[in-house]
Amino acid sequence: MGEGVRGLGQDKPNHDPNAFVGGTEHGIGVYTQATDRFKTISLHAVWLTTLTEGAASVTALVPSLLRRGARRWPDWRSMEMRLEELYGAAFRAAVEKVGDQQLVSCHLEIPDGRFLPGHPDTLSAGIEFLNHVMSEPHLVDGTFPAEAVAQEKETLTRRIQGIINDKAQYATMRLMQVMAEGRPFGLSRYGRVEDVAALTPRMVTERYREVSREAPLLFFGVGALDAAALERAVRQTWQSRPADVGMPPMAPVPGLHQRKLVVDEQEVNQGKLNLGYTTGARLPDRDYPALMMYAGILGGFSHSKLFVNVREKASLAYYAYARVDGVLGLMHIGAGIEFKDFSEAMRIIEQQVADMAAGHITEQEMDFTRRGYVTSLKTTEDAPGSLIGMQMQRLLMGGGLLPGDLIPALERVTIRDITRVAESVSLDTVYFLTAKGEGHDVRLPLS
Amino acid sequence: MVRTTLPSGLRVVVMPRPGQRRTYATFATYYGSIDSHFRVPTTGADLEVPDGIAHFLEHKMFAKPEGDVMDQFAALGASTNAYTEYLTTSYLFSTTDRVAECLAILMDLVQRPHFTEENVHKEQGIIEQELRMYLDMPGDRVHSNLMRALYQKHPVRLDIGGSVASIRTITPDVLYRCYETFYHPSNMLLFVVGDVDPQAIMDQIAEAQREKGLTESQGEIVRYLPDEPAPVAEPWVEQVMPVSLPLVTIGYKDPVGRLAGAELLTREVVSDVMWGVLLGKASPLWSRLYEEGLINDRFGAHYTAATTYAYSSMGGETPDPERLAEVLAEELPRVAITAEDVERQKKSQWGGFATLFNSPGDLAYQYNAWHFRGVDLFQFSDALARVSAKEVEARRDEHVQLAHRAVSVIRPESA
Repeated sequence: MGEGVRGLGQDKPNHDPNAFVGGTEHGIGVYTQATDRFKTISLHAVWLTTLTEGAASVTALVPSLLRRGARRWPDWRSMEMRLEELYGAAFRAAVEKVGDQQLVSCHLEIPDGRFLPGHPDTLSAGIEFLNHVMSEPHLVDGTFPAEAVAQEKETLTRRIQGIINDKAQYATMRLMQVMAEGRPFGLSRYGRVEDVAALTPRMVTERYREVSREAPLLFFGVGALDAAALERAVRQTWQSRPADVGMPPMAPVPGLHQRKLVVDEQEVNQGKLNLGYTTGARLPDRDYPALMMYAGILGGFSHSKLFVNVREKASLAYYAYARVDGVLGLMHIGAGIEFKDFSEAMRIIEQQVADMAAGHITEQEMDFTRRGYVTSLKTTEDAPGSLIGMQMQRLLMGGGLLPGDLIPALERVTIRDITRVAESVSLDTVYFLTAKGEGHDVRLPLS
Repeated sequence: MVRTTLPSGLRVVVMPRPGQRRTYATFATYYGSIDSHFRVPTTGADLEVPDGIAHFLEHKMFAKPEGDVMDQFAALGASTNAYTEYLTTSYLFSTTDRVAECLAILMDLVQRPHFTEENVHKEQGIIEQELRMYLDMPGDRVHSNLMRALYQKHPVRLDIGGSVASIRTITPDVLYRCYETFYHPSNMLLFVVGDVDPQAIMDQIAEAQREKGLTESQGEIVRYLPDEPAPVAEPWVEQVMPVSLPLVTIGYKDPVGRLAGAELLTREVVSDVMWGVLLGKASPLWSRLYEEGLINDRFGAHYTAATTYAYSSMGGETPDPERLAEVLAEELPRVAITAEDVERQKKSQWGGFATLFNSPGDLAYQYNAWHFRGVDLFQFSDALARVSAKEVEARRDEHVQLAHRAVSVIRPESA
């Protein structure tokens, strides 16, 4: 990716039904897809910031406080009453992570007035709500109210500590942490408990001001809406970003380890086996469609090698999958297994990876995988959230194919293309979460 | 929308959605985890079956002599799945192409069982891992423990998937007995939503059922359920797990006996509006609990109504389960319920209903759920419009009582 948001130009005219209309000017992008396919109108706004250890927590608190009140709806209750008035509109303010970027996002989904009694204009009210909540938070003496900050600090702390409650998610997070070894993509989007503790209302307010004035802002709208009116409303509310502000280019992630093994023990009933690979290919890369095919055949579907061999043939697991992170260019394999089956599961998984590299791929596997992707890419059109997510990813990555081009690209991928990308797929880290007392004998088989 | 009942008793519903890329279909049976004691219609004998067998059967329907049905869907680029609940089992596909072929496979998937000693044995290992996965999920455990605390005898107190021990006793023979009893078309609903020609879909389904010789209704299935006493089994249950903070779910049992149709819908809609008013995010009580740090922003209360049981549940992470339970017990009975609150809640529920039509999956789920409870989806708006503040208040006074309450807590190891 070149200069990040500075490089986000006008999207070239495109007749793909997934394409958005719009562009970025002065650090503010407005992208819309006007369609009457949906019963709701989705509005999604994100500020883009670089994820750093120091700023992660203070940035993470910003959306929590936006949620707590705005000038016109100064507390939680009045804001919620407003949303109920808007026919149960769903509002979410959250912090997200894409690669090494931390996103502060506000999302509003409003039932389309055409389908409601009396046909109210929910769209204008929705745009007004979102703009107001993001631009005029409730402040007391110039800062976020101290009580609300204290409560949201507590909530954030619990959220950070709570990651341990979901074992699959916890194991994935630990794998990324080990692979990243301090690099930003391995950091938590919520930051660290000790950083949260040190935050004051002034610090959070200053961070809000900084983000809201300077961070590149992307605004998306999908549904029965008027693109020009939305663009006008956004540009009236938000000033241009400083000219020199842009996102640093997102670097490809090189591997730092070779077959590193990390084992944790907890009081659990099932072991979580997670393998992290570097692949060398990312969304905008030429080889990305071939990498998609690679990961799909290996573990993307119920006909895939991992599901068939780990689950159906060996009965070792209920789930076994491979997933590619197209932003970082990493691949992740996961399976939930019996503690004692570590070696057997590793052996079967690595055999499947070796089979991929050796080109032991059937025409049927190629065909089923291609078709599976085609269906899921086509159905992107049915879900406003998927449309917005795909558009945002393309903007952040400075490229990537829309389904209209990606489908033929997948259809052109050959087994040779797949074995070529397989050469760059390399096992970086193995992470195993096992029961207490079960971890000491865990050894990796030789490759 | 086209709806019909075939001579076999199969209910078929097709909802055309022009412009939608995805076609989504469910084939569901009114047979879930609670149906473990019944009369086998072919032999007339009464049978009690191992816990978790409906879920096991669902897994095993995908096995055919020629291989896994998933591959047949994959060959068409379609995806498939299935799930078992307390009350029902559903099979589904989602596709953008070749709908007729997918539909044929779906009917074949559900209407051609193939159970062998070998494939049953193999599935035991897989399901054992599925159950172990749930055992590590605090959210799943806290719900499961609550159901055991609320119910003394009703099988809804047992986990849908059964236990590692109970599924080991399942045999092909008992699977066939369950299949014969509950997978007759007269116990089932086939629902299709997408950009389709409803008549063509109807004709295809009717023809396929004729070919399979499914032309006669089976009649009512005899199901045995123990009488459930009104009081809860245990008012307070706890389990220790490796979690960061206590997790709590509070339940109110609603002793309903038998419940269906308009009565069930009214009860459900009034109860949902009630919880929105009492404990929705716009309620004073919610704000107070949040500001005291007793709940997180995902806290909410919901009502679940089924044909032989009903309950409300609410919960989430909390540093102090005792204090949360105490505040709720004190405050819920005395919240003032105003007409404005009720009207605002009704608007919000309206939006939720309209949004349902955005997602074929959610729509199919809701249609199925209500169908097997004797409710038609399109009765919802009238039922909602009728809700009054007086009714909501009466519902609260009847339902929110300490005698019907049970509390389930998951505590961190160190505490």
